[in-house]
Amino acid sequence: MWPSRLHKKLYVTPQSTISPFKLIAQAAECGQADCTRSQSVLRIWKSLKLANIQRLSNMEVSYGAPPESVQKKFALPVDSEHKATEFRLFSVAAPHMRAFHLSWVSFFACFVSTFAAPPLLPIIRDDLDLTATDIGNAGIAAVSGAAFARVAMGTACDLFGPRLASSALTLITAPAVYCTAIANSPASFILVRFFTGFSLATFVSTQFWMSSLFSSKVVGTANGVAGGWGNLGGGATQLIMPLVFDLIHNIGATKFTAWRIAFFIPALFQTLSAYGIFFLGQDLPDGNYSQLHKSGDKHKDNFSQVFYHAITNYRGWILALTYGYCFGVELTIDNIIAQYFYDRFNVNLHTAGIIAASFGLANLFSRPAGGILSDIMAKRYGMRGRLWTLWIVQTLGGIFCIFLGKVGSLGVSIAVMIIFSVFVQAACGLTFGIVPFVSRRSLGIVSGMTGGGGNVGAVLTQVIFFRGSRYSTETGITLMGIMIICCSLVIMSIYFPQWGGMFCGPSSKVTTEEDYYMSEWNSAEKERGIHMASMKFSENSRSERGRRVESAPTPINGTPSTYV
Amino acid sequence: MAAALLLVSSILFSCLAASCHGVTLSSLQKTLIVFVTASPSPGQVLKAGEDSITLTWSFNNSFPARTDSAYKTVQVKLCFAPISQQDRAWRKTEDNLVKDKTCQYKIVAKPYSPSNNTFSWTVQRDVPTGTYFVRAYAYNSADEEVAYGQTTDAHKTNNLFQVKAISGRHVSLDIASICFSSFSIVSLFGFFFLEKRRAKHSQEN
Repeated sequence: MWPSRLHKKLYVTPQSTISPFKLIAQAAECGQADCTRSQSVLRIWKSLKLANIQRLSNMEVSYGAPPESVQKKFALPVDSEHKATEFRLFSVAAPHMRAFHLSWVSFFACFVSTFAAPPLLPIIRDDLDLTATDIGNAGIAAVSGAAFARVAMGTACDLFGPRLASSALTLITAPAVYCTAIANSPASFILVRFFTGFSLATFVSTQFWMSSLFSSKVVGTANGVAGGWGNLGGGATQLIMPLVFDLIHNIGATKFTAWRIAFFIPALFQTLSAYGIFFLGQDLPDGNYSQLHKSGDKHKDNFSQVFYHAITNYRGWILALTYGYCFGVELTIDNIIAQYFYDRFNVNLHTAGIIAASFGLANLFSRPAGGILSDIMAKRYGMRGRLWTLWIVQTLGGIFCIFLGKVGSLGVSIAVMIIFSVFVQAACGLTFGIVPFVSRRSLGIVSGMTGGGGNVGAVLTQVIFFRGSRYSTETGITLMGIMIICCSLVIMSIYFPQWGGMFCGPSSKVTTEEDYYMSEWNSAEKERGIHMASMKFSENSRSERGRRVESAPTPINGTPSTYV
Repeated sequence: MAAALLLVSSILFSCLAASCHGVTLSSLQKTLIVFVTASPSPGQVLKAGEDSITLTWSFNNSFPARTDSAYKTVQVKLCFAPISQQDRAWRKTEDNLVKDKTCQYKIVAKPYSPSNNTFSWTVQRDVPTGTYFVRAYAYNSADEEVAYGQTTDAHKTNNLFQVKAISGRHVSLDIASICFSSFSIVSLFGFFFLEKRRAKHSQEN
């Protein structure tokens, strides 16, 4: 009765991005009877738009008898963009929660691979005849590759979708982990750690994917849990790798062979997770990028426009800097803390490894807590709440970092380290409660810039404070704390005209979410109707006004010109 | 590097009660004479797991006769020469023997006897590449160091020998690495191909 192409466009996504002009053109192809129907549908469409689409998510267009199979059902409640409005941790329902579990597991695998070498260094440094300088350089190399890779990853997510981007990156870096088993010199060791470190860019695809699948009410939580449980890999690896090594060594391999075989475990884990993402994941609630591009439901965006809007948004740069002083600090500590406890307090290497692991393992709850806290503050105070909480938590992290360097006894030092880890990791979660709102069109690149900023912070901090013998490690830690506090001050300069900043309320000129997000599209693009995803996002982001939503100004230019 | 290394040194043994912090090297006296003979030929770098060295140690008779009355056991260890300690804080020399990390590889432990001590040792497979000397510690019945002797001089500059470690690599490992890596890259191309096909397929629907 209905041509199948028309079915798809009318029923699968009642609020799809297709413009009415296209609809009419297709109707004209269908023949006389169908043209009449599509004109009627057009009238229904217009009235739906005017009646505030948000209340009608999951509705059925009840004209004629739409085939049941075409109406999509989601296991979780969704909004008009089909993003989940609830976060159910113990569900694996496609596409939302399944994507969540796939992405955090693969990010965990990448973290395990990147930091698989530090716990085995006592063996590796003897096998490859490494000096302390070589080890320091390898540690810096491991985190520096991802600084650039994260931005590239952001671009790839914007253009190809997080599923393909992250599985491709995970697969491409797996050879570096396999080849760690055949490294035979300091130079080859530094190289494999450098290339393995690129896999940390899967962080960006994780955050992008969560931001694409979860609504603004729960995006902080989803980002925080996915990011935190992935970062857990940095702590878990300090326990996993020595265990695997011991197992292989006890089976009969010599030490210098056992560590090589041990690296196959993280490498295989990484490869398997890439397969999982490719075959079981889905980019968006409505399908994958490649399918949506071909069917016209998702416009394939223009790279230079996306890039331009990302780099000209000053908020992205500020968040990149501040992320360098929460996540960058976390990476730095991952690299130096075992040695610090070993040297200053004379614990044995095994104990130092366990202490180092506990720093990373705090990610299990602390980063998710940051994300959840961000969402809670946003419910009450909106974006301003998110900004204030980020500043407070990150500054507290800096204060505890100063203490960590000053404290002289082992027990107190461990306690301070754990408190410090909670604040620093919560700040990471809080940062990614804000990032999804900086830009809609260039979400990928902004996420990438912020994530990359984290790695740049790690490189800078290690080079300034933890290389050579200029500062003792404890002095370096204290100075790093001071730097955290100073760099966090720039959060005060973030200002959203529609929501305000830390010290200023929203702009006195009536500015709405639509104005902010539509400024990323020019009128030619709006003509073509490719800005619709941003439109929907701006409607859904009204929750960032906090308790003021009821008194929200209605959009002046709310009805786009394409609807007549 | 001469394969046959001889060093004769003589130091008086002094009874030293170990302090709570551990015995310091400077407080010990060098009453033992340690010889190392590396085989098979002079100038050769010893290969870990294959080559062996022969050690001989004895009490230096230039010391008073009863100085060795408290010695119960002797432990002979392989120690790093300064050049192998450079830029490697985990091999640092400290006077306090509890913290000292110079001698990390135990060669042999034997009950003490003033003479006729020899031992042939195949360089262990987990000994890293580096430059070494040999040191013997004498312990009393409370297991504290009371004397020592070494094959090199006080500044650790002569009679050092080199060891080349095993690489730990095997052909099978190399092949496995290359195979798995290629498999990953081929999978990647497979993914792209599959993705293109899926998109075309859904468009045709």
